[in-house]
Amino acid sequence: MPVRGAALPYATCPYCQTLILHDARGVEEVGKVAVLPFDVSPIQLGTVLRPGDQRLTVVGRVRWAWSGGSWNEWLAQADDGTPCWLGEAAGLYMLTVEAQQWLDLPELRDFVAGGPIAPGLAVQLGARRLVASDIKEVECLGSEGDLPLPTQVGTRMASIDFRGTEGEVLSLQRDGRGASAWFGASWDLAGLRATNLRAIAGWTLPKDLQ
Amino acid sequence: MTAARAITCPACGGTIEVRAAGFSVNLACVHCGSLLDVSRPEVVLIERHAEAARAYALPLGTRGVLYGDEWAVVGATLRSDGEASWQEFLLFNPYRGYRWLVLFEGDWQFGTPLTDRPQGDGVRIVWRGEGYAAVSDPTVTTNQAVAGEFYWRLAAGDTAQCTLFERGDEVLSRECTADEENWTHLVPLPGALIAEAFGPAPAQPGRRRSAPQGFSAAGAKPQRETGDRDDLVWMFGLATITAIVALFAMVLLAGPVSVVTGRIQVPVGSRTQPERIGTITVTRPYQFVTITADTDNFHNRWVDLDYSLVDRATQQSTDAYGLVEYYTGTDSDGAWSEGSHRTETMISRVPRGTYDVYVGAEAHGWPSDPVQTPDAWYGTETISVKIDARTGAMSWGMWVTLLLGLLAWPGLILWWRNREDD
Repeated sequence: MPVRGAALPYATCPYCQTLILHDARGVEEVGKVAVLPFDVSPIQLGTVLRPGDQRLTVVGRVRWAWSGGSWNEWLAQADDGTPCWLGEAAGLYMLTVEAQQWLDLPELRDFVAGGPIAPGLAVQLGARRLVASDIKEVECLGSEGDLPLPTQVGTRMASIDFRGTEGEVLSLQRDGRGASAWFGASWDLAGLRATNLRAIAGWTLPKDLQ
Repeated sequence: MTAARAITCPACGGTIEVRAAGFSVNLACVHCGSLLDVSRPEVVLIERHAEAARAYALPLGTRGVLYGDEWAVVGATLRSDGEASWQEFLLFNPYRGYRWLVLFEGDWQFGTPLTDRPQGDGVRIVWRGEGYAAVSDPTVTTNQAVAGEFYWRLAAGDTAQCTLFERGDEVLSRECTADEENWTHLVPLPGALIAEAFGPAPAQPGRRRSAPQGFSAAGAKPQRETGDRDDLVWMFGLATITAIVALFAMVLLAGPVSVVTGRIQVPVGSRTQPERIGTITVTRPYQFVTITADTDNFHNRWVDLDYSLVDRATQQSTDAYGLVEYYTGTDSDGAWSEGSHRTETMISRVPRGTYDVYVGAEAHGWPSDPVQTPDAWYGTETISVKIDARTGAMSWGMWVTLLLGLLAWPGLILWWRNREDD
């Protein structure tokens, strides 16, 4: 199975919802993307995050659904182009960067090859022990902006989160094109020092986030 | 306008607001109680019910500010561990996420979900460097009723294994379900803060219509009703006592009375020089001084009065102003009159001392001054103004305001109850 790259060749046209693939060979229509359902997420394309001494700009979003609900994955790009996923669920955030090296762990070889992962499976990442806590088959509900993966109607993937005791997370994704691994931590907006947040009618943007 | 997603309940057709759109997964309809899946664009009925949401201490949709952030009550649930039952409220702010309010036997707690997990065995745990001790064994807690929206698939009848760990008045709560373990950090919150933030708890719907004693469900005494009625009597009683105490306090504070009276004549169409009426003495560090102007019967005239209290020791002047006006006329609605022949002016915080009271005045006619004829029999028209200046005055207006303030709340409740009865 090939391991997916991290460039952002997919763009959703905000006017006609067409998914466009642009690469060295040119520009190509891939299919249609569903219109994103209304939500009250405070993140928007252009939101800037400053975790630690990094500076990330949100450039894309995918909305995923599973049997127990749905959530946003925002794609944020560092100034040097490094992509990060900002998972948004229950008003909390998980910010992860690509960590493909963990796919070589013996416990995960079966998953990379297309096999399942059992809940409770523990992996050792250096000094940290993380446990598989969220195992989902997800379906794309829509997208916007620039993304590394196709998001047309009917896109599905496996999404597995391993969690540690301090909020750290290893997120595995696998679709027909391969598997990827992302590692990061839990945050709130104040901790991310987010700016250029979306103005939401009826709510006041807190002073520390302006 | 507030950002919310409006949906139609597939069970009862009622319109419901999804306040945490994009986050909420399950929603119990406020109209019929049916449980809906709102996680996707299409709303799906999970379980049909046909009873309205029960009354909770905080109504859904209410907003309040706690710890500097505004929170909307988006979900409410009634929980029980078999011995006690309590209410929990899910608070939402799109920029801050979710928090909890727990109401257990009249006490409130504010809860923050944890992203990091405390470490330790089931008896003693450590969280962020501090130790917490288990208060009890894990108990099975059941959600007896749910209303509003939640970010996970919560439904009435759901159970969780709950354990509380304490450190002083801080509590860590662990809730385990089949596939999740959730931790919440709880701190106590004074009920007064909740009332200040979210307003007073609403009247319980149907409370006044409860079955006659002896017919109530499960033989439970309708304690609430008698309790609330007593509260109202108490409120009126307390208001009356406070008003009487305030009256005595005000009389006491007003201090000894020193009075001076006099009369000035004000020609209409001209101004008089300040005239000394007499002397009053302020014997307390500060007292009120009231000056009353009483005039004879006139129509369509007004008199501007300039009062000066001049301190004999320092020659410092304290100035005030009064106006007497009275107009009459006839229009399409018939005869009318406006104004009064009497006016009262109150000067607050007059310092201790002896004061000469000076009054200057200016009188005019309306809509214009009367024409002065040189050969008029009566000479110039004048208005006679009787002046009464006194210390030790009491502000009746202030007391009446206090009385209204005290009686407003119980009065409103009384009116509301009578309205309910109609």
